[in-house]
Order: sequence, then C-alpha cells, then structure tokens
Amino acid sequence: MREEFYKTLSSPIWWGALVIAAIMPFVLSSYYVHILTLALVYVALASSWNIVGGMAGQISLAHSLFIGIGSMFSAALLLKLGINMWFGLVISALISGILGAVIAWIDFRFQLGHLSFVLITLAFAEMGSIVVEGWDFLGGASGLLLPKDTGNFLAFQFGGGHGAFWMMLGLAAICVLVNVAILNSPLGYYLRTIRDNEKAAQAIGVNILRYKITAMVISAMLASVVGTAYVRYLTFADPYLLISPVITIEIVLFATVGGLGRAYGPALGALLLVPLGEILRGKLGSTLPGLHYFIYGIVVISVILVTPRGLLPLFERLWARWRGPAVAGKP
Amino acid sequence: MTELYQALAQGLLIGATYGLLALGMGLVYGVSGVVNFSHGDFISLGMFMCLALYSAFAMDPYVSIIITVPLMTAIGALVYIFLIRPMVGHQFLMVVQLTLGLSLVLQNGILMVFGGEPARTPSFVESKLIILGDVVLRVPHIVAFVVSFALAIGLYIMLRSTDFGRSIRAVHQNAHAAALMGINVGRVQVLTFALGIGILALAAALLLPGTPIQPTQGLRYTVITLLVVVLGGMTNFVGIMLGGLIIGIAEAFGTIYLDGPIGLLLPYIIFVAIMLFLPKGLTWSSAR
Repeated sequence: MREEFYKTLSSPIWWGALVIAAIMPFVLSSYYVHILTLALVYVALASSWNIVGGMAGQISLAHSLFIGIGSMFSAALLLKLGINMWFGLVISALISGILGAVIAWIDFRFQLGHLSFVLITLAFAEMGSIVVEGWDFLGGASGLLLPKDTGNFLAFQFGGGHGAFWMMLGLAAICVLVNVAILNSPLGYYLRTIRDNEKAAQAIGVNILRYKITAMVISAMLASVVGTAYVRYLTFADPYLLISPVITIEIVLFATVGGLGRAYGPALGALLLVPLGEILRGKLGSTLPGLHYFIYGIVVISVILVTPRGLLPLFERLWARWRGPAVAGKP
Repeated sequence: MTELYQALAQGLLIGATYGLLALGMGLVYGVSGVVNFSHGDFISLGMFMCLALYSAFAMDPYVSIIITVPLMTAIGALVYIFLIRPMVGHQFLMVVQLTLGLSLVLQNGILMVFGGEPARTPSFVESKLIILGDVVLRVPHIVAFVVSFALAIGLYIMLRSTDFGRSIRAVHQNAHAAALMGINVGRVQVLTFALGIGILALAAALLLPGTPIQPTQGLRYTVITLLVVVLGGMTNFVGIMLGGLIIGIAEAFGTIYLDGPIGLLLPYIIFVAIMLFLPKGLTWSSAR
C-alpha cells in the first residue's frame, strides 16, 4: 500500500517538476510569479479540501472557517497581542483541527446525510463570516494590516515575492503529498468506502466516526496553515476574501474541475483556472470586474456537463488513446 | 412591549416572503431532487431586471413583473433543460457543484452589467408607512406579506385540485409509478423548475422597494432560503411557510434585541439547533 507513496517520493518526475517550479522566479517577471504564487495557494487549499470533499465525498462548505482562523486569527494574535506568527500558525491550526473534529462529530452523531452536511457547513461558514465582520478583535469589516514583510524568517516573514513563492511551493507540495499518502494508505481506502456506501462500510466494521474525524482534522489543519501563509503573503487580512464562503466555493469548483478524490486532480484544476482568472482580471478587471468568476462558472458548468469526473480522468483517457493500444498490455 | 410587537410584526411580514422564496425551492426538490444553490442569485437576477426596467422606462417594480415573471420562467425552463436535466440521475453532489458554478456565473454576470455599487429601485409605495398603535409598518412589507400569502394559498389550491398540481404531487410521491400512469415526468420537472424560478421573479419585486441591492447578495438569499426549506421539512408546504415566519421573526428579534453580530447569528443558530434535534424539520403535521 505504502509502496505507491514511496515511489512518488523517489520519482524523478516529481522532483524534476518541483525543481523546475522552484527556478520559475528567476525566469518569470514578478507579475507572473505573483500569479503562480496565487495558483499555488489554491493548489494547497483545493488539495487539503480534497481529503474531505473528494475522498470522503463530504462537500464541506465550512473550509472558509479554517482558512479564516488561520489568516484572521493569527493576524489578530500578532497585531493585538504581539504573539509571534509561528505560534499563531500553530494555535490557529490547533483551533481549526478542534473545530473540524467538532463538525465531523456533529455529522456523525446526528447522522446527517450528504445534503444536510452541505447545508450545516454552509450555515457555519455564514456564521463565521458574520462573527468576523462584527468582532473588532479580528479586524471587523475593515480587516487587519500586517507589518511590512522584511524577510525575518523568525517572525514568519519570507521577504515577499520569491520567498513567498518558495514557501507556497513547499506548502502546496506538502498538501499534494499528503493526498498521495492518504490515497495509498488504509485511511484512503476507508474514506472511499465511506464515500461510496457508508452503511456498507459500517457493516464491515469501518470505524466511521474515527476516520471522518481524522480526515476532517487533517484537512482543517492544512487549510488553516495555508491560510496563515496566504495572509502573510497578502499582508492585508481581508475578511471579505478570507472568511467569505465564496473562497470555499472557489476551492470546491477547482477540485471538481480537476478531478475529485484524485491526488493531483485539485492541483490540476487550480493550476489551470487560477492563472486564467488572474490574467483575465489583470487585463479586464477594471472594465469588467467579476469576469474571471464568470469564466470560472462557465468552465465548471461545461466540465461537469462534459466530463463529470473532472479533467484529470479525461486527460488520462486522451493520453491512453494517443499512446495507442501498446500501453494496454503493460501491467 | 412596543419593541416586542414591532419585532413580531416585522418578522411576520418579511417571513411570509421568505416562505414564498422557499416554496419554489421546496417544489423543485420534491419533484426532481435538485437543490438549487443558485436560488438566491436568481432572486438577484429578478431584482436587477426590475432595476433595469426602472432605469429604462421608469417602470415601478410592481408593474415590471408582467415582464420579469414570464422572462424568468423561460430562463428557468432553459436552465433546467440544458444544464440540470443532463445531471439528474448522476451523483446528487454534482448537481450541487453545477448550481454553485451557475451561481458564480449569475452573480458576476450581474456585476459586469450593473457594476458593484449598491443600487435602489424606487417604488410609489417605498416610503409610505402605516402606524397601528405603537407599531410602525412599512407599506411594501405589508404588500409583500399579503401577496406572498395569497400566492402560497394559490399554489396550494393549484397542487390540490388542478391536473398539473396532481401530476406534480404524483411525481413527488413516486416518479416511476407516475410515469406508468401516463404522466410525462420530464415535462412536469421542467415546468416545476420554471415555476419555481418564476415565483422568484415575483418575490424579487416584493422584496425590492426600499432595499438596496448588490450583485453579491445572492448567496445570503440562498442561505436564508435553504434555512427555511430545511426547517419546513424540504417539501412540506405548510412547514415551509411556517419556517419562513420563524426565520423572519428570528431575524427581526435578533436585530432588535441583540447587539451586533449575535443578533445576525440568531437565525443560523436556530437553524442548526432544529437541524440537529429535529432532522426532519417541522413536519409534525404531515399535511402535504
């Protein structure tokens, strides 16, 4: 089972891709580095969401809470209480993990169906955004402005630009690796059994509560950590961006477009859509605000109608056809 | 005491319209099992159509429904036929994601056309007030209450005693058996979805006078509608109207009695509590 994971870890393609990505800042202009950094943020977020939403099949719309805790709360700790952001990152991740466990427990205890789970998590997300917008400690509706990034690593600063890119690259790689690891571990099999048939999973003795909580806690903590890094990169903690349910919807859509429940699917979706959206916004944002979301929506609808399982399976099919039947004989 | 009456009256008035918003969603869910996460954005669409008609022809929102209702009904039918019908029978969750995508398209389509500034659509009743003892009521709210209840009763009678209504109920109870009885299930599903969206055009006109509108408001309307539908037990007609009133009153109490964010949270807290402890919603009287 673990073999697949170690194979990935020692795969030259993986490391090659990572190295090529890492030298990008020296090749591209700072505008494109910024776009790639944003894409990596969403790769990390969509991959962390995938553990719950894709593998366990539970469309959680509560992830804006974890991102929001990771960003707004750690920013507030730094600005209001002077707590180092590294500690803020840990504290936020712990709180997110606990909250995730509570949500998973509620889901299990009250036997929520798929629909009820979507609704309850959406209600939690709305509550979160209302609380943040109304609570001055977290910056209220006007948000929080972090001190300038001077590159002091001990204060969770990466020197903006290139440093933030490498930080995000590392985080995104970790999130994708966690996906690979879980998919190839017993946990991944349990989660997929729960997704496909919860009653049957329970009948053959899968401890549903335990695995749902495990998945949710891992996913929530990753999302929270990414949130902290994201807000450090943005410098401005904007509640309308970071704790709005819209950010979760974006993530869900990226994951769906790429391929739900696949290790590389959400990453693919984010890598395709974020640069597309950002470039559109850069070119037309002043004349047509909202165009990039509009395009996201159109892409999502088309992908769902054409290939409901996402683009990754579609690409794989095309690849197999292009390579011809010669591959079919290989093990 | 005055505050109490004021909160109750305000909550009841606005709650009736919430109930109407939710009836459309409940009907659609009952007939095709689809939960439309772009519901609130269709409300937005209806409101902005009224705004466009006002800016172009100085048309009062109450008058512009003669244009918006047929238009939105047609849009609803097209959306169902081209987007949602291909997904029915697929995984339920794919429809959720599809309508989330649709919500982005609608919200930002509106943003691109109308811009992001909050806008108002004046109406001849906008600033009129009725004072009953100590309670001040806004006329648009009263109009919304009366029309919402009239429409709800009309829908109820339609479901009870017309052929179309009976076929809706038949498909809801057992689509397979309904098909065997010669009911065109596909047609009923399209018409119900169209009807659900058409109702939204009306509700939009009712909510509009005096309310500033923004393209980004759709999601919040979706959430409110979902709260009401789930409270009402998804397809229970009476339950949904009751759910609307409860959410309306909770909202009014929250904003009048509780300061700041907790007040706004009250409807959600009530929702989560009911969801957890009465998972079937308010369906004690199963009058369907």
